[in-house]
Amino acid sequence: MSAPLREPLPAFDPLRVRADFPLLTRTVHGKPLVYFDSANTSQKPALVIEAVDRFYRQHNANVARAVHALSEEATAAYEGARVALARFIGAGTPDELVLTSGTTMAINLVAYSYLQPQLKPGDTVLVTQMEHHANIVPWQLVCARNGATLKVAPISERGELIVERFVELLTPEVKLAGVTHVSNVLGTVNPVRELARECRRRGIPLLVDGSQAVPHMAVDVQTIGCDFYAFTGHKMCGPTGTGGLWARRERLSAMPPFFGGGEMIREVRFSGTTFADPPHRFEAGTPNIAGFVGLGAAVQYLERLGMANVFARERELLAYASDALRSMPGLRIIGEAPDKAAVISFLVAGAHAHDLATLLDLEGIAVRSGHHCAHPLMQFYGVPATCRASFAFYNTTDEIDRFVAALDKVRRLLV
Amino acid sequence: MSASGPYRDIVLDHHRAPRRRGRLAPPVQAAEGVNAMCGDQLHIEVRVEQGRVVAYAFEGTCCAIATATASLLGDCALGCDADDLAVLERRFAALVAGEIVEAPELGALNALSELARYPARRKCALLPFATLAAALRGEPHATTEVPA
Repeated sequence: MSAPLREPLPAFDPLRVRADFPLLTRTVHGKPLVYFDSANTSQKPALVIEAVDRFYRQHNANVARAVHALSEEATAAYEGARVALARFIGAGTPDELVLTSGTTMAINLVAYSYLQPQLKPGDTVLVTQMEHHANIVPWQLVCARNGATLKVAPISERGELIVERFVELLTPEVKLAGVTHVSNVLGTVNPVRELARECRRRGIPLLVDGSQAVPHMAVDVQTIGCDFYAFTGHKMCGPTGTGGLWARRERLSAMPPFFGGGEMIREVRFSGTTFADPPHRFEAGTPNIAGFVGLGAAVQYLERLGMANVFARERELLAYASDALRSMPGLRIIGEAPDKAAVISFLVAGAHAHDLATLLDLEGIAVRSGHHCAHPLMQFYGVPATCRASFAFYNTTDEIDRFVAALDKVRRLLV
Repeated sequence: MSASGPYRDIVLDHHRAPRRRGRLAPPVQAAEGVNAMCGDQLHIEVRVEQGRVVAYAFEGTCCAIATATASLLGDCALGCDADDLAVLERRFAALVAGEIVEAPELGALNALSELARYPARRKCALLPFATLAAALRGEPHATTEVPA
């Protein structure tokens, strides 16, 4: 046998990967940190932190404004991040990716630039019962201004979208549908490709909220076939205040600006202003340049790990934790969809979610408790709050063991 | 087995076995305390004679911090008038904010002082105080949540 011509790709080694994240070595309340709140925000690998640091130390300047060397470097770094992100989500060209402060900004951009100019009294926007507030409230605000209404596609008790009901609700007065790719509370992975196909057949644009998908699985927006895809950088190992909106060039070209200011213009006269082409038309003001440099590094990091590896590793962790939790007395898991991301929302009979989370924190374990920015979903399940343990590829089964043991301990204190 | 932080043994004891839980015979002054974001719901009622609290009872579905505080507050409240309770509420707020280390007049409620390190949970401990104050003022509702 001949020797391989190229170095093999490095195998996914959970413990080596963990060493990439400096924060994971710290202690909390004197105990080693167990960070199970990655659905809230992910931790950052050293190379992302260093990329941001290096940008400010060596390249800092504003983008697309000056002709000096630093500005050229900053512009190249910022636009380089756009290219990397566009490739990462399967965009046809980088011009189809608007860089935003995150998903919330991306959805608001669609709400005010795309939807509001055409929404009329009697029109509706369709969302699902499992949406994050970011995919509810912008539509509500625009509907209220324009005399339109919001309608809601139901979910099953297991936390799955009832697809046939969603399709039935795609009636002619629906001017846009908004669906999360992966639920931040339930972990449910929605069949967005199928939903996009049904929307397309009826000529209804579909926005997919990819906040909880892009960090955890390979996403290809063109294969999904949706009209808008919004995502955030800080959940995918990037800095806070970064994210994006993908839409096809024709769609973006037809949209008027949302924010006005520098950066987004072609020529400004008091008699009238002409605007830059997308995506810059939607990027008024100085962007989060260093943040996107960091996000570009995060994309390179995730590509090196391989999203298939990330996906497989997180599914292993989910299965391991779910099995361990199911045997705990009084514990109820909210969200049991067969296709589920590494998020476990749970309740313990007789114990308040905040008490569980505070007591777990005393054990060094960070989980989220509360409504998870999904009040309507909490109302569906008739609970004010849940605890949520969310995993990332840098977590370990040892951490899950510690979490389960600690949860059993604090449960006994409370119940 | 004991916990730590704001969950001292006395707090857990009052959570598991709350004192003065239930209702009083009328006439009473009552108020509902609701922290909707947490889902905490608290009913506190008192009998007031000559301006002073002579009986105290509470019911509700709350976290351990709110339940234990409501239970411990009963001991403090008996014999107090509205002005006394306003002083106690201010002292307790200062305690859980870490502005003072201890307040002797709060008795066993000093066990909640660790909440100074848990700002997000202070509203839980303050809910019973706010609810009692509302009952004494003749107001039906109280909350210690600010809209997020």
